[in-house]
Amino acid sequence: MLLGSLDQYLINGLVLGVIYAMVAVGFTLFFGVLNVIKFSHGDVLMAGAFAALIAYISLQNFVSISIWMMVVITTTFAFAAMALFGAIVARFLVLPLRGAPPLNTLLITLMLGLAVREAVRLFYPNGSNPKPFPKLLPDTDIFIFGLEIRHDSLIIIFGGLAAICFLHLLIKKTRLGLSIQAVAQDSETARLMGINFQKIVLGTFALGSGLAALAGVLNGLYYNEINFSMGLLLGVVGFSSAVVGGLGSILGAIIGGFLFALLQTIGAIWFEVPAYKDVFAFVVIIAVMAWRPTGLLAETKSDRV
Amino acid sequence: MPNLLEVDDLYVGYDEADVLSGVSLKVKPGKITCLLGANGAGKTTLIRALLALTPTRQGKIFFDGEEITHQATHNIVRLGISTIPEGRRVFPKLTVIENLLTGAILEKNKRKIGSRIEEVLKIFPQLSDRKKQLAGTMSGGEQAMLSIGRGLMSAPRLLVIDEPSLGLSPLFVKENFKVIRSIKERGITVLLVEQNVKQTLEIADYGYLIAQGKVVASGASAELNKTDQVQLAYFGSKQ
Ligand SMILES: Nc1ncnc2c1ncn2[C@@H]1O[C@H](COP(=O)(O)OP(=O)(O)O)[C@@H](O)[C@H]1O
Ligand SMILES: [Mg+2]
Repeated sequence: MLLGSLDQYLINGLVLGVIYAMVAVGFTLFFGVLNVIKFSHGDVLMAGAFAALIAYISLQNFVSISIWMMVVITTTFAFAAMALFGAIVARFLVLPLRGAPPLNTLLITLMLGLAVREAVRLFYPNGSNPKPFPKLLPDTDIFIFGLEIRHDSLIIIFGGLAAICFLHLLIKKTRLGLSIQAVAQDSETARLMGINFQKIVLGTFALGSGLAALAGVLNGLYYNEINFSMGLLLGVVGFSSAVVGGLGSILGAIIGGFLFALLQTIGAIWFEVPAYKDVFAFVVIIAVMAWRPTGLLAETKSDRV
Repeated sequence: MPNLLEVDDLYVGYDEADVLSGVSLKVKPGKITCLLGANGAGKTTLIRALLALTPTRQGKIFFDGEEITHQATHNIVRLGISTIPEGRRVFPKLTVIENLLTGAILEKNKRKIGSRIEEVLKIFPQLSDRKKQLAGTMSGGEQAMLSIGRGLMSAPRLLVIDEPSLGLSPLFVKENFKVIRSIKERGITVLLVEQNVKQTLEIADYGYLIAQGKVVASGASAELNKTDQVQLAYFGSKQ
């Protein structure tokens, strides 16, 4: 027996897919340019959602602005705050650890994630409890191809896709993107071309972290609730998606994100107990990894970003 | 005329032992200066030290009178040094055109970039048919052309070339030497690292022979050709 209509499963799956893809792209970017796995990424997503919430609360009290303006301002603030945070983490935590075993970076960022999580829990007023996230998007229904879709879901899906496409174009079509690709493929030769390695690494971490913040905001807009530990599962899912797609490949990360959401959806339809959907998705991902240890779009040493 | 590049008593190493111990050399503007020496002599290490990819332990490096010894690589490159690294090192997942664009990444003027691409494609017409091909899928000879083309894209004052003929067929090697000579004719100063003694000395104006991290002979190409050390190195590399 289905708990909801098939339409709803489909839309829900697409929303989750977009959000996972956005998180996975960050993992793949960081791995691409610096060969590191940054495990605080899920908590950056959470902090981004909280940054948007703080911006909303501060603005709502003393200015009257249109709801769309509010969406733009809060989202921009969350993006900018996390981009800055990402660059700072890269500068003072990740770059100094270059040359140390990769496991160290993984552990340090794991601890950083814990610190961010605990900081929100302790310092945000009543931070251990879930916080309502403002309903900024209209929840009226529209019909497309006979599907009943809520406006907010549609905006979230297209907003997320737009962000991913924007990032893709930035990497493929701009001077900054060319530098990022060059650093990812051969950082030493990139420096010989006159590329400032550190600047590109910081820029990449800023981009990836900003994208995670956007994912956090979309997540908040979708569920209308956020909490200090929301980044835990989203981080693990984003990481698994990036790995299953082939760490280092952006297209792989996007495919991985949607694949994970698809598996969860299948799991949710198949098993009547909702909690089984994650177990099902992870089991399949593990099976895929056993079959293709380097991911679906296998990354070789030279196959970067 | 003042030297474009000057290396003064350079010591460089990777771990404990020095690979270069007290190397000094000068590169005159508008000329081809070559660096000869057997495998493992320290030629690539010297190039890496010039560009600060490997840190210098002692000694000084000047480019156009300015000391560059401990500057960051991208800042050294900005002064007008372009490198064709050992093993070509094209970006494998970038197309031919994108690879060329990385060579001009410091140039903001789109028209200049466009005309440089045209120039490079004129020197290497074979690359014109493969503009959209990924560099990693090309043959060694084509990658060598691309690497040289990429090095020319910044319109450098000094072009550093590390073993361009490594692993190429004799035909390509000959072609390469022709191109290097034409680069000099464009007014670009060249520092050429080679093991191909005979052909190198034919196009170079001045040369240094390095053995075990030290300069063991130097002079104008014609004279250098006659020294015992070069004769030895020549026969050594011929076998
Ligand atoms: N990355 C490295 N780490 C340690 N030793 C190195 C490294 N690169 C080169 N060497 C050593 O330095 C010496 C000189 O090497 P290199 O400069 O590459 O010589 P060449 O270019 O003249 O063939 C060799 O003995 C080589 O083993
Ligand atoms: Mg060498």
